[in-house]
Formats: sequence, C-alpha cells, structure tokens
Amino acid sequence: MVFQVSHTTSYFYESGVTFCHNLATLKPKDLLGQTVLDYQIVISPTPSEISEKLDFFGNTVTRFSIQKYHTELKVATHSKILRDYSLQPNIDESIEGKSITLQQALIALKSYQEPILDIRQYVLESILIAGISPEIKAYADISFKPDRPIFEAAYELMQRIYTDFEFNSEFTNVATPIHDVMKEKKGVCQDFAQIAIACVRSVGLPARYISGYIETVPPPGKEKLIGADASHAWFSMYIPKFGWVDFDPTNNQIPKNQHIVVSWGRDYYDVPPLKGVIYSTGKNKMKVAVDIRPAV
Amino acid sequence: MILDSNILFQNYFSENRNYDEVLKSNMTINPNWETLLENINQLGLKELINKQNEVDWLMDETGVTYNVYNDPKGMHRPWNLNVVPFLIHENEWKTIEKGIIQRAELLNLILKDIYGKRELIKKGVIPHEVVFAHRGFLRQCDQIDYKTSKNLLIHSADLSRGPDGRMWVVNDRTQAPSGMGYALENRYAINRAVPSIFKNIHVQHSSSFFYGFNQMLIDAAHNNKDNPNIVILTPGPLNETYFEHSYLSSFLGCPLVTGNDLVVRNGKVWMKTLKELKQVDVILRRVDDVYMDPLELREDSYLGVAGLLDVVRNQNVTIINPIGSGVLENSGLIPFMNAISKYFLNEDLILPQIASWWCGQEKERQYVLSNLSNFVVKRIDRSNRESLFFCEFLDANQLEKLKREIQSNPYRFVAQEKISFSTAPDFVDGRLEPRKVMCRTFAIARKNSYSVMPGGLVRVAPEREDLHVSNQRGGVSKDFWIITDNPQTSMHHYAWDNTCKISISNINDLPSNTAENLYWSGRYLGRAIVTARFLRMVLNQMSNSQFNIQKIESEKLQFLFQSLTTITYTYPGFIGEDNEEALKNPLKEILSVIKDDKRLGSFAQTLNSFNNSYYSLRNLWSKDMWRVFDGIQKIWGRFKDEKKYAISDIIKLLDRIITRLIAFMGLIEESILVDQGLLMYFIGLQTEQAMMNVSKCRSLLVFNLEEHLQYEILESLLTSHESLNIYRYSYKSYLSLENVLNLILLDKEYPKSLTYQLKRIQKDIDRLPHSKNTEAVTECQRLIKEANIKIENLNINKLVELNDDSTLREHLDTELSELADLLHNMSLSISNTYFNHTYQQTQLVNQNFPL
Repeated sequence: MVFQVSHTTSYFYESGVTFCHNLATLKPKDLLGQTVLDYQIVISPTPSEISEKLDFFGNTVTRFSIQKYHTELKVATHSKILRDYSLQPNIDESIEGKSITLQQALIALKSYQEPILDIRQYVLESILIAGISPEIKAYADISFKPDRPIFEAAYELMQRIYTDFEFNSEFTNVATPIHDVMKEKKGVCQDFAQIAIACVRSVGLPARYISGYIETVPPPGKEKLIGADASHAWFSMYIPKFGWVDFDPTNNQIPKNQHIVVSWGRDYYDVPPLKGVIYSTGKNKMKVAVDIRPAV
Repeated sequence: MILDSNILFQNYFSENRNYDEVLKSNMTINPNWETLLENINQLGLKELINKQNEVDWLMDETGVTYNVYNDPKGMHRPWNLNVVPFLIHENEWKTIEKGIIQRAELLNLILKDIYGKRELIKKGVIPHEVVFAHRGFLRQCDQIDYKTSKNLLIHSADLSRGPDGRMWVVNDRTQAPSGMGYALENRYAINRAVPSIFKNIHVQHSSSFFYGFNQMLIDAAHNNKDNPNIVILTPGPLNETYFEHSYLSSFLGCPLVTGNDLVVRNGKVWMKTLKELKQVDVILRRVDDVYMDPLELREDSYLGVAGLLDVVRNQNVTIINPIGSGVLENSGLIPFMNAISKYFLNEDLILPQIASWWCGQEKERQYVLSNLSNFVVKRIDRSNRESLFFCEFLDANQLEKLKREIQSNPYRFVAQEKISFSTAPDFVDGRLEPRKVMCRTFAIARKNSYSVMPGGLVRVAPEREDLHVSNQRGGVSKDFWIITDNPQTSMHHYAWDNTCKISISNINDLPSNTAENLYWSGRYLGRAIVTARFLRMVLNQMSNSQFNIQKIESEKLQFLFQSLTTITYTYPGFIGEDNEEALKNPLKEILSVIKDDKRLGSFAQTLNSFNNSYYSLRNLWSKDMWRVFDGIQKIWGRFKDEKKYAISDIIKLLDRIITRLIAFMGLIEESILVDQGLLMYFIGLQTEQAMMNVSKCRSLLVFNLEEHLQYEILESLLTSHESLNIYRYSYKSYLSLENVLNLILLDKEYPKSLTYQLKRIQKDIDRLPHSKNTEAVTECQRLIKEANIKIENLNINKLVELNDDSTLREHLDTELSELADLLHNMSLSISNTYFNHTYQQTQLVNQNFPL
C-alpha cells in the first residue's frame, strides 16, 4: 500500500522573530515493511542554513536556522511511503517469541551480546519516564507475571490502558508528568504510550517510544477531511528471541499498514517533531495539520 | 623539635586523635614539616595572629570572593585562606604526579570510548548502566570527533591521605573544574603577607604550568593558531566562583563572556562586539554540560549558546572541556577503574581510590544492603549533599527508605567504605588545630601527555570534626606547597613571551555586553556623584538653618527639597498634594531618598546599580579600584545598619562616599585603555552628568524668585556643582543669574559646563565603530550633533527673559527640555545601535524537562 503523507506545522509570532535555530525530526524511517519512496521538507521563509544528520537513535534530524525577520514559520513535509506490514516478522508465527515468559526474558536480557546490549538501554529510566512510582509498577504487575508469556502480558496491558484511560486532549500537554496521567487516567496517545513504557520498564523489560502517523478512515459514505489525521505515538516492547513488537494502546491494536513510523527513542523527549530556540519577545501560536491518504 | 615546647601545638589532639600530616602517633614530627614549623615558631603566636589578619585583610582588599547561592550574605563572601600552608615533599609528589597523569589519561580514554566505540561496555570492562544510566551521558554528543590532542583537556581531582599513608582519589572534576585562580591568588597572598614563612624552604613554582595552560588554549584553536580568539564563558557575576572567572580572564588576557555575548550563525560561533560579529575559536567554559546549548540540551538554559553543539560537531570551535565530559564525574566508574587501567594501559592504578561497590551487580548489592550502615552511599551521577548518605548517621526508617531506593534503581547507586582521612594543622583562634584537608589537583593536556600543577588548592573542613570539605559551606583554603631539597631556579612571574599574547586589540572587538556594562557604570557613577553632592548641599543648608529660623530660610529649604525630588525623580516626595508630612519631617524623607534601595531614584538604588554593572566588569579593573570599591561598600554597609542618624553624620557619610567615588573616577581613567572600552564609560559618564546638569538648572533656575532667595538658590546650585570657587575666580562678582548660566551652561572651556560636556560626548561618539550595515552617520551621532548646534545658538539674554506674568523663564525651560529630550533619545539610540536587547531567547515549544 502506498501512502501520501503531508505534515504541516505553522507558527505565528506575535512580535516577529529575528533569528531562530530549529530541529525537526519528521522524516519517516526506512524499515522492513516501510519504504520511503519520496520525501521533501519545505520550510518558509527559506532557511539560511539547513543540514541533515542521524541522531543517537538513528532518526533523521533536520537542522535549520533562519536569519531574517519573519512573523510566520511554516515547516511542511511531503512523503510517499510504501507500507507492507506482511514483510515484517509476525509474532503469531514465532512460537518462541510468543511463549517466552517474563522470567525467561529477564534471563535472556542479561546477555552482553549485541544487539541485546544496545537494547538494554531501553530498560533504564529516561528523561520523561523517571522515578517510576509503585502505582505504575502495581498496574504493570497485574498483567506481567513471572510465568506468563510477555507478549500476552503486553497485549493485555495495551487493552487495559485502552479501557482504563480516557482520551482527553484538554487534560495534558507535552510536559505533563506520567504520574499525573496515571493518577487521572486521562491523556492522549503520547501519554498512553509513555504509561505503557513505564509499566514495561518497571518489570525490567525494554520498551521504546514510537512517533509517527496513523491513517484515519472516514465513516462509510463520508469523504475524508483534509487534516483530519494527526501525529501519533505508540510503544514497542522488545521480546527476546523475536524482536521489537509495536502496540498501539490508543487504538487497542498491533500496528499494521495504517501506522507509519517516523522516529523512535526512549520517550517523547528524544523525538519531538519540531523544536527550536527563537529570538523574540512576544507570544506565539501553533497550528498542525497532517494528512494521510492512499497515493493515486 | 621537642613538642611540648611548642605552645602552638598545645592540646592539638584534645579529643579525637586522627591520622595527622605533621604529628605522628608517637608525637614526633614529620621531618618534611620541620622547617615550616620552625618558621611558624619563630613568628610566634602574636605575630601569627597578625599575619592571619593580614592575609584576611589582603583577600578582602584584593576582592578575592566566593559567592554562595541563595544566601543573602553570600554574595562577595571573602575567600578564607589559612596562614599555615599545606605541604608535600617532592619525592612523594613525583609519585602522585605520575598517578594524576595516569588518571587524566585514563579518563581521557574513557571519554573517547564512551562517545565512540564503547568497547569498554562491549568487552564487559564496565557495565553499560554505569554509562547509560548516568545523567551526564549526553547522547547528543555521541560520535563527535575532536581535533585536539586529547579529548579531556583539563582534569581536576580531589585527593586526601588515606589510612595507608598514600594520597587517595576522592572525586574527579571534568566539566569545568574550578580552583586554579584561587590557588594562584593564595600563593600571591602568602608570599606577600608572610614572606618569612618561606625561609629555608624551596617551594616549586607554577609559572611553567600556567605557561603551558596558555599554550594549550592556543593549540586548541586548530583552525586559527596565529590569532586565535579564545574566550572564557562564565554563567555570570552571581556564580559562586565568578571571582576566578574574571581573574583568569585578566590573567590570560581572554575576553570574559556570557552566553548572551555569543551567537551561532553559518556554522560558526561568533562573539558580538561593538563593531561586528567576531569568530570564536576556543571557549574555556565555566558552565556545566547541560547548560551549554539550549537547542539540544537544557532548554531553559540562558547560560549557553543555541546551536553550539553542532558547531562542535563540525569542528569549528573547541570547547574546554568538551560538552559531555560530565559523564566522567561518575562514582560508578570507581570500582572498575583498575580494570579499565589494565585494559587500556596494562598497568595498575597508581593512586588508590576508596573501596566502592556498584549496586548494579547482584553480589555487590546484597553485600551493601546487608551491611548498609557501614557505608557511605552515593548516586553515581550526583555529588551534591542531598545525594550523599552517611549511613552510620541514618535511623532505621531512613535506612529502610534508602534500601528501597537502591532496590528500585540499583544501578544508580554506589556504596563506599567509610574512610578517615588525614588532618593537617590549621591556625584557628590562636592555636593549631587538626582539620581534615582535601587537595584539589589540576592537570592539563600538553604534548601528548598531561602537565600537572605543582600543588593546587587545599581546602579544609569548616569544623574540627567535620568529615566533609566544601566551599559551599564557607570552608577555608590553604596554600599548597610542593617542597624540594634544591633551590628553585625558574623565575617567579607569570609573563609569557609574545608568541602567546592574546588580548583585545581594539574597541571594535569589545564584547557588546561589556560595552553596555561600561556605559552604565559611567552613567550610574555620574548619577551617584551628582546626587550625593546635591544631597550634601541640601543637608548643609538644613543644618545651617537650624539656628536661623527665618521666613526666607524656610522658603529656600522648601524650594531645595522640592528640587531634590525633581532631580532624583523620587516623586511624590516633597512635591504633590500629600507633601505636608514630608515637609514637616524633611530629614525622614531625605533619609529615605538616600538609603531606601527599593525606592526608584534613591541614592541607594543608584549605588546598587553602579555596583552591579561594576561587578560584571571586574576583570577589567585594577586592584586599587577594587580597594576603593570595597571601601564604599563598607562605609555604606555600616551606615545602613545604624539606628539613629544626625544630619552631621549623614553629611560625613556623603563626604566620604563622594571622595571615594571621585577616586574611583580617576582610577578608571588610568586603569583601562580607551580601546578597551573606556570610551563607552566616558560617554555614559558625560551623558549622565549633562542630563543631571540640565535637570538641576530646570528645577532651580526656571522660576522667577525674589532677589534674596534667588541669590541663595544660585549659591546652592554652584555649591552642589562644586563650582562656587570657579565662579568667584571667573567673575569676581556678586552672583547673577546671567553669569551662573554662562558658567554652567555656555562656557566653552569649563569642563563642568553643559556646552563642554556635549562637545566631549560628540567627540567620543564619533570614535565609536561603525558596522557595515549602518548609515554613514549614526542616529546617535545625529542627535548629539543637534544638541551641540542647539546649545551653540543659545542666547543668554533670551534665556533670562521672563514670560508675560513674570513668574518664570519659559524660554530657558523650553530649551533645556529640548536638550534633555535629545540626550535621552541619544542614549536610547546608543543602546539600540551597540547593545543587544533585540535578542531574547525563547523556546519554540515550551517543554522544559530536567536533564
């Protein structure tokens, strides 16, 4: 399946900006089952400098700076993605992966062999997922038992978050601590992903944060509105003897073709789509529009 | 030496007997210390007390300070130096030096490996959590290549003598180690205050170390070795070791900058100077890792430069030490250091460390948890007191809590054996007392190895039984001697040859932040002097009139009081509807105008503002200037704390402060070059004096007064202007309004006349650099020129003309007010053209996460 994705972020600066430095983590990844056929980033006003580098986690980061006065910044990406999840390893076909228990997984993770060594960093605390509370641990322990397969446990955890937490975009922002989300049981995809990651790490397993897009399907007979889609986030857990498995607690499903991966890291902090330092005195307003549709 | 003959050592070990540097357990004296003790003995108790006072005085006089955050009395706290030095013999030092070099090299290799191939982790030499769970491991710095000979360019370690008699490593400092400047200053002070203490002792000099330090900075400028632009980045005057930042800045001749002085453009770092942007090659930083780049690291940081890290990646600037080196300040590495040494160098560690157990390992953790109260527990990435647990002092609950914390994140903790380190004699309250000491050593990368400072900074525990040595709690320091049996030949001075002379060569290169502080120093100094003189005049009039209660006197005083409010801009004061209270008790209001530092326009506030802009510039000032500055502080401090104020006392205070402010003015002119920024200071000073001049004339001379009163007011004006003698000399006549206006406003030769001041400002502004972008004539040039033309065309006869109802001189008022506006706009325009207010850094997305 080929998708056309466009993602536009606009900033309106009340009193204008004379100079800015920005980082954009917006380029979708090339993975097994996901091929970037085309990718463009269009920034206005035209940056005086622009460069692209891979970050520590292998995500593509575009760095740009604008040195002339402007009141609006627009960053738009247009990509064409070939998505075929059936090329990825299927956990349903891996008896070993599907049946490995927590106890066995923890032993397997003690290995000093690569890639386990690299994966072990995703067990540790990270900037936004630190000081994991006993409440989160207790929430995780309901699903994760020493003798239970971890895939089954993670699947159940995803389902429980889907049921127990209310989707509410008013309640949280990018800086809401996970412990507040846990307490209020409200939030958005990013919060649910981070709660799940905290749970998985609390039992000693590696989990990472995936930032990307999801295609929304309009109700039957209705045409899809442009910009109805959004950036999305979910989590991935490492299952020894199999590999990473993605889970989307916001939609209670294992991602297939409708999910497009842009970047991953330990939590949101590692992969904000756009950030920057601006030199200005006023306030600013932001608008984001994402559109995903099958390519014609 | 026979011990009991030495009064200084009486009751030396009163309660606790420690392992001591000088006194061995059998109460004999360590032979290395004998000569020093002899010299101390010869000084005698009384003289030693005198010398300690002299050292204290010297530290105070030269302004060696140490600021303590969040402590109202903490700003500019004097640095404490004990008169008794600490020493180590060269024979022992040679081994220590080798150990320091080995350790610096190891840490350098670890740093390279952690941000490079990570073989230490892959080969199982260190557990990955020790790196990956350390807050100082900055993933943004991964795989950066450096062109310098070493990745770690400065290493600093804290050493203490352990029970086995060897020096042990307690801590490593690798981000922005402090102390070198204090060490230099300590030696200077002891040398000056107690030269006799060096008698028959050969102490190694550190001049060649500092020569190498300077050379290292130059070598780090790999793209521009011929004329490198090396800057020292400071968090600012509030930082605890700001004294040292400014000290090193003048010592090394490098500009002292804050993050706001630097900017990243076109892949390079630039310093904002008066003329243009000037590329920076090397940044010697005193800002911690995570604050260095708000784009990629801590977003709420205003201490760094946005985009800096990418310039480092592209090898267009060298940061010393590189960003990310904080991962080496890591107690989690200690248990593995010997293995690392074996791995890289195939050697054992030369300097021992405290036995440590990393809790990330099962066996070690069990051992720690079951013997917890015997340990000192630390977080691997924090060295502050809150993350340091002396378990023997914890109660059962606290122990239980700590246990739980360790269990939930074991890899974050290290447990260390309790060690009793050695003590050394400290001169306290007229006798020697044993105190725990810690030696901070310094090594810098030189010629593919490291060069170690002979000695360093010794710090002493603040209390007799204190285990912890820290400056934050106001500890004491010592001069640190490496003694040799042979006389030292190297010259004892720190001048270097011309090949490595770096300095700000002309005013074009002046950092614009410095320029701004200079300008405001001038403005506030001018304002302080004029205000103080006016206040003094008013108080003198008050004290004369106390014995002379006449109508005319009270009218005069009221007029002067009201002009005081106008000139200082401390409305409502004596003006306005509710002025009765103030007029009834004028001294109360005047005192408030003098000492209420919360009140806008008060003398106290002016003085504070002057202090702040002055203090931000202290790398430019001479020692004499510090002495005078400090004198003002002390007089002011005492005055503020007094309970009752008599007019005569206030006049005396103002006299003393005015004298010092004038001395200060003279010192500035001889201490800084015009090209170093004196020009900016002059412009500020003259502008303020001109503005105050205008303001005084407007408030005193515009109203038409009855003749006798007029005379009194003219006399008051000239007195406050310190111009009465000049007037008498020039006019040899009765005071007339025409003559006074001629002298104070129109005279072309008299330096205190407005005409002269405006000329001078124009001359100085014309010398300021022009950037390529500005017009041939800048806005400030245009404005000052207009002011000059205006004043040249003033006609004295028109100025004294009265309006129709004969109440005031409208023409005089209009002209003066137009001149005031021109000066005001000129000042704004200087600010817009030369200082950088336009840059106010904010985040695109507000997401401040602690790193």
